[in-house]
Order: sequence, then C-alpha cells, then structure tokens
Amino acid sequence: MRINRSTIALASVAVVVLATTATAGAVGDGQAASSAKSAHSTIQRGGTLVFDRGSDIISLDPTQVADNESIWADECLYEPLYKATQNGKELVPDMATSYSLSANKLSWTFNLRHGVKFSNGQVMTSADVKFSINRVGAKASNPWTFINADIASITTPSKYQVVITTKTPWAPLQADMALFANGVIPDNYAGETSSVFWAHPIGTGPFMVKQWIKGNELELVKNPYYWQKGKPYLDGVNFVSVPDDNTRLLQLESGSAQIDEFPAWSQVSELSSKPGITMTLFPSSWTQFLGFNEQIKYFKDVHVRLAISYAIDRAAIIKAVLFGHGTVANSQVTPALWDYDSSTPGAQYNLSKAKKMMALSAYPKGFSTKLLVGSGNQNELTMGQIVQSELAPLGIKVTLQEVNGAQETTLQDESEFQMSFLYDTTDIIDPDELMTFAAAGGAGAQGTHAEFTNYDNTEVNTLINQAEHVLSMSARKAIYDKVQLILAEDPPMAYLFYQPFAYAYSNKVHNFFVYPTGNYHFENVWLSK
Amino acid sequence: MLVRYVGRRLLLMVPVALGVTLLVFFSIHMVPGSPAYTFLGPHASHKAVAAFNQEWGLNRSLPVQYWLFLDRLFHGNLGDSLFYQSSVTSLIATRVPVTLSLLTGGAVLSVIIAVPLAAVAATHPGKLIDQVIRFTSTAGLGMPSFWIGTTLIILLGLVFPLFPVGGYGNGLWGHVDSMFLPCLTIAISIAPTLLRSLRTSLIDALGSDYVAFARAKGVGARAVLYRYGFRNATISAVSVLGINIGFLVGGTVVIENVFALPGLGQLMITSILDRDFPIVQGITLIFSVIVILVYLLTDVAYALLDPRVRLG
Repeated sequence: MRINRSTIALASVAVVVLATTATAGAVGDGQAASSAKSAHSTIQRGGTLVFDRGSDIISLDPTQVADNESIWADECLYEPLYKATQNGKELVPDMATSYSLSANKLSWTFNLRHGVKFSNGQVMTSADVKFSINRVGAKASNPWTFINADIASITTPSKYQVVITTKTPWAPLQADMALFANGVIPDNYAGETSSVFWAHPIGTGPFMVKQWIKGNELELVKNPYYWQKGKPYLDGVNFVSVPDDNTRLLQLESGSAQIDEFPAWSQVSELSSKPGITMTLFPSSWTQFLGFNEQIKYFKDVHVRLAISYAIDRAAIIKAVLFGHGTVANSQVTPALWDYDSSTPGAQYNLSKAKKMMALSAYPKGFSTKLLVGSGNQNELTMGQIVQSELAPLGIKVTLQEVNGAQETTLQDESEFQMSFLYDTTDIIDPDELMTFAAAGGAGAQGTHAEFTNYDNTEVNTLINQAEHVLSMSARKAIYDKVQLILAEDPPMAYLFYQPFAYAYSNKVHNFFVYPTGNYHFENVWLSK
Repeated sequence: MLVRYVGRRLLLMVPVALGVTLLVFFSIHMVPGSPAYTFLGPHASHKAVAAFNQEWGLNRSLPVQYWLFLDRLFHGNLGDSLFYQSSVTSLIATRVPVTLSLLTGGAVLSVIIAVPLAAVAATHPGKLIDQVIRFTSTAGLGMPSFWIGTTLIILLGLVFPLFPVGGYGNGLWGHVDSMFLPCLTIAISIAPTLLRSLRTSLIDALGSDYVAFARAKGVGARAVLYRYGFRNATISAVSVLGINIGFLVGGTVVIENVFALPGLGQLMITSILDRDFPIVQGITLIFSVIVILVYLLTDVAYALLDPRVRLG
C-alpha cells in the first residue's frame, strides 16, 4: 500500500515537532554576558511599558485593597498629601505643599498644591481631600480603618486648606497621609455613583485606567492633566498577570515585557548576567521571622524562645531559600527604615548559647511542637526542614504541620498555631504601623498582638504607645531603639533575614525604582527605543 | 430518535451539574481558610473580619448559603465575586472563549498531528517509520504539559520568534497567533494516545475481510485507507478524543498558567486559593456543563459514525 507524498510530509512535520520538543529543553541556558545598562542621557518619550507580575490586582479602590499588586498599581492613579523619598527615610510634599501644626499639637493644617487636576480635567480642592480621607474608615470592614483611627475631624477652611484634628498628639500623621489609601479622588465620586466611578476611576496620578480585564491585565494610559508638566514620559503602563516564574522570565527575554516583578530566587544570579537585562535587589522593609505562639506553655518561657533563636543558622536558610540574596536579621526593623538600630543585639546562630538557654528554661530536656508551613510553599518547607534539624540538638522535636495557603493565613490570624513563619513589611515609612502590629500586645492592643504571637511586654506596649505621641524625631528614634533592644532580649519571634525586592527589567527601562515600602512610581520612568 | 436522545441527555445534565455544584460547595467550605483574611490582609482586626463575613453572608449556615446560591442560579445570576466585587457571570464570560478556543484548537491540532502519523504507521507496520512514530509518540506521552509548553515557548517564541511568548493577544489574529503554542501543547499531550488508538484500529481495519474484499474488487489504496480504514478506525478514536478532552477541561489550568492565558482554569485556581466561593461555584458549573456536552457530542458522533450503534 502507498500513501501520497503530502501525507508523508505532514507526518514528518508532526514527528519533527514531537522530536524537537523532546530535545530542546536546554535552549537558552548558559548565556553569559554583561548586563551593563546602556547609557542614555536624553529622555525619550512614548511607549507602553509591560509590567509582568504574579497576579492581577483585585480592586481599583485604594481603601479596599490589602494585596501589594493592587496597592502598587493603584499608586499610579491616586496621590496622597505626602510621599516618601527614595531612601524611604523622609517625606516630601505631593498633593500638599506644606503643613503647620497647632500649639496643642492636635490640628494639622495642610496647604494644598494649586493647579492639580484630576484625569477628567476637574481641579482638585480640599473637599476632595476630605472626602477621600473620610472614606478610609467609612466601613468597619475596610482594611485600612486603623491608619486614620486617631483622626477626630477634618475641616476645609478654604479651597486649598485642609485641617485634620487628631484625638491625641499623633506623631505618625504626616506619614499616615502618605498612605496610598489616603490618595485623593474627587468629592462625591465626581457626581457618579460609587459603582460607576470605580469602573473608570479618576485620580490625580500620572496615569488613568484605559481598561481592566479582571484577573488578567490592567492597562493604564497617561493622564493628560497630570500636574507635573511634561510627565509622565510613558504613554502607558500595562500590568499583566503572569503567574508562572518561567513565563515571566521568557517574556522579559523575548522583549514582550519590560519588567519581571519578583523573579524566582533561583533565577536571580542567572538574570544578573543576561545581556540586555538589569537585575536589581532593592532594599526593603521585609523581615522574615519564626513566630512563637505564647499561648503554648513552652513559648511563654523566654529562655525557650531565645534558645530557638540562637539555634537557627540564618545564613544556611538564606542560602537555601534566597540563594544567598538576603541578609541576616538582627531586629524586627530592616536597615532600609529610619528607626533601624544596627547595634541591636538580636540573637544570632550560636549553638552553645542555645544549649545554655535551653538548660535555663523550664524544659531543659526539650519538648515536641508543631511548625505551621504552607503546603506547596517550597520556601517555607525548606525553612521548616532546616529549623526541624537545627532544633533537634536542643531536644525540641518539630513536626511540620502542612496546610494550604488560605488555611495557613486563617490559622495565623486566629493564633491557632504553635510556631509559624511570618513576615512583616510596612506601608508607611513611620515605624508606628510596623511596631504596632509586630510588637505591641496586651488587652488594649490595636494591632495583631505582636503578629499573632500573643506576646505581651508591658514596657514594649508603653514605649510603642509613647512613641505615637512624641513629635520629636530624635526622641522617637531613642524610643524605638529601646524597643528593639527589649525585643532582642525578650523576643516574641526569631528574626531570620531581611529580604530585598527583586526586579529584573530590560535595559531599555530607565529611572525605575522601588521604595523600601515596595511601591514604585512611573512618572519619571522612560523607555529607550 | 437522535433528537429524543439528545433532549433526554440535556435534561439529565441538570441534576448532574447541580450534583457537582453541591459536592463542590460543601467540599470547598469544609476546607479550612477564610476569604476574609485573604481579602483584608494580615492586619485585619476581628471586627473587620466579622463585618466582611456579615456583608457577604458568610456567617450564615452552609445550607442557607447553598440555597441562596441555587436561588440566584435559577434567576440566571451566579452571584458576585468576594474579591473583585463584580458579577461572577461577567468574570466567567470573558474567560470562556479563551478556554473553549484552547480546547477546540488543541483537539483540532491533535487530530491534524495524529491522523497522518497513524496512517503512515498503520500502512507501514513494523517498519522503521512505524517504529519512529511509535517511539516519538511514547516520548510525547511521557512529557508533562508544562514542560512541553515551556520548551515550545523557548523554541518557537524565543530562539525562533515565530509566536508570542504567552498572553492572549489583541484582535482575532492576535488571539489566533497567541493560541497556537498553547493549542500545540495540548495537541502534543493528546495526540500520542489518539495516534496509538487510531493506528491499532487502522491496522485491524486494514487487515479485515471487507478491506481484503475491497482490494480484490480493485479499489485503490487511498480509497481503501480513507473509505474503509479510517471510517472504521475513527469510531474508537472519537471516544478516545472525547474522554481526553473531558479530562483536559480540568487540566487547562497548567497550560493557562504556562502561557499566561486568562482562561477559566487560571481563575479557578486563584479563586480556590483565595476562597472566592462564588467564582469556584460558577466555574465548576461551567466545567461540568462543558464535560457533559463533550461526552454527549462524543456519543452522538459515535452513533453517526457507526450505524450499528443505536441511541436510546
């Protein structure tokens, strides 16, 4: 029997496709070249920047978001009264130009920037600022209600003045006013209903929404009324959801995307040597730690907590999980924040000290406990295995309790764990948010009872509370230094490492920068051809 | 007869689909993990969590929540997503074309790959070309689809930049261009099974008495192959293809993930992880309907191809 040539040819093509697929796995590996960024002194305008990230945003309403993807994208649309400097240590005016504080330290008068327009051409006034700030705590289920909790009233004595009166002298207020959730939108949704407004929101930011394909892509285009003349340089920014690490990397390499947010740690070294790609680890406020639930009797004992803190080889964890791209932590606070105290004697790996601490504890022979880890979370599983083996010499038998991600969050938030890996970042550059959630405890605690550990150190609680009401920066720094010292001697958790924010981006991207709070702005970013 | 059969099967689809939603509803609610913590973030106060649960009716008993789901469903409403705070129907509607075109394109390409290869293999049984085809198809069978997808992206998206590296593209041509590699990935996964089934059936058919009779009557080689060989071999291949597509419906998430396609599978996984219950319910319903319809079409095609089969 004979088959015609075209059938054979088609069959051959099919065989080739199958065969090449089976053998082409190594293509693209082993390339080594300089990643030196091309030098461009002249700003070029135009172009749309494609920004790949692991997941899509969930809302365009900045008062309703707690996920970083939404927060950082929403910052392209709305601007608050102040914003952080690039080093994350100071604040500079944004929608405000200056402020004055009353003699009783309760009334903050913010002078607004003139000539700012929303993306519909409407002029921004104090009524818009008041409306926007009031929205943050309008509902009990709003995630950022706590940030404005000390505000007693907001008044608008003139078109360009807003007076915020606090219940107590509130030191973090200026930083609170730099939070994305306090970004300005038009009063009364510019006359629209809430649902119509959020379908096509209006802000003063450098970009506005072109379209949002939910779960997939947020397309932004430049705001023609943006108040910084000549900016933004880009025509648009597309935030695209690309969950797979490899696909993000391949899209970056192929030029179909210009920024890869959070490449896998295993890819970082390789990316840093890829031609045409810049790999940057931006300093962050991310502290990773091992939390101890003090509702469990063993962890009420400070010697047990210290013993565990001394027993963990942080460098080994950094090598195994971050492929070396992190630094050992000595404090709750990272060096990227202004309250960091480099001299804080946070526990470091020292097995003999660990054994001494264990001997001083009420459980010198050890005990059995559980460590919560996310199933499928390879980083936590690896860290868990390392902790498991490192606590064995202390007689502490650790069982890994694997649960899925949502269950893990629920168990953490309801303090239904014995030990758990947790991390902290901050959304404002003032230490108050971080310290309140990470260290403050007791019945009156506003936060999470020291990240759900139920740690309750009266002196720490008092100091954190005190720092909220002292307006001198140097005095506050001294208070936070003292808090860090106490937390080193009586730790609610074992501080493990500081994790940078990893970004890989095309050499055609210029002026891209990530703040220690994790956010980024695009008004100064441009693309070379 | 056929119309009555299809009508009955479509009616039976209702309790089956509802049964699936019932099973999924209770199983996803049994899995610990609250959407409130995922939505509100790690710093959510208990007051905020309680307010969230109250707002979305998550503090009600499970039977009441399921009843409300059914009530909405019979009014053509799948509810609102807890996270996107917009209608599940509209969220799913934008995803269905992606997943359906992935499945359809994958099925068509798998036929395009499998049929000629099976024809060559079956007409040269035991020869080198048959061995090569069988070996290659076995290799294809053993390759995980995420690896096939990544390899195709590297090969045909990066080294030879013929196709986009992921995404759904814009406009009709953009969609077609973007869907080729994902569809090819599916085809490479399905084709080996289809090819082997088709080859075996073809060899059987070509060795049968009626084919020998046709040859004796002077019917040409091509006519024998297509009129007698394929017609009979296709009957079993259709079942194999139908079953594979049925399995693929649940497995599209891997392909969608690798190619960053905004399809139902990707939305399903995200929603399960976030505990966005209304979306999970809605997609489960759509998936079950697709699977039931694919199996129904398979049965109908089977009956049309084989006159001995009577549907009833």
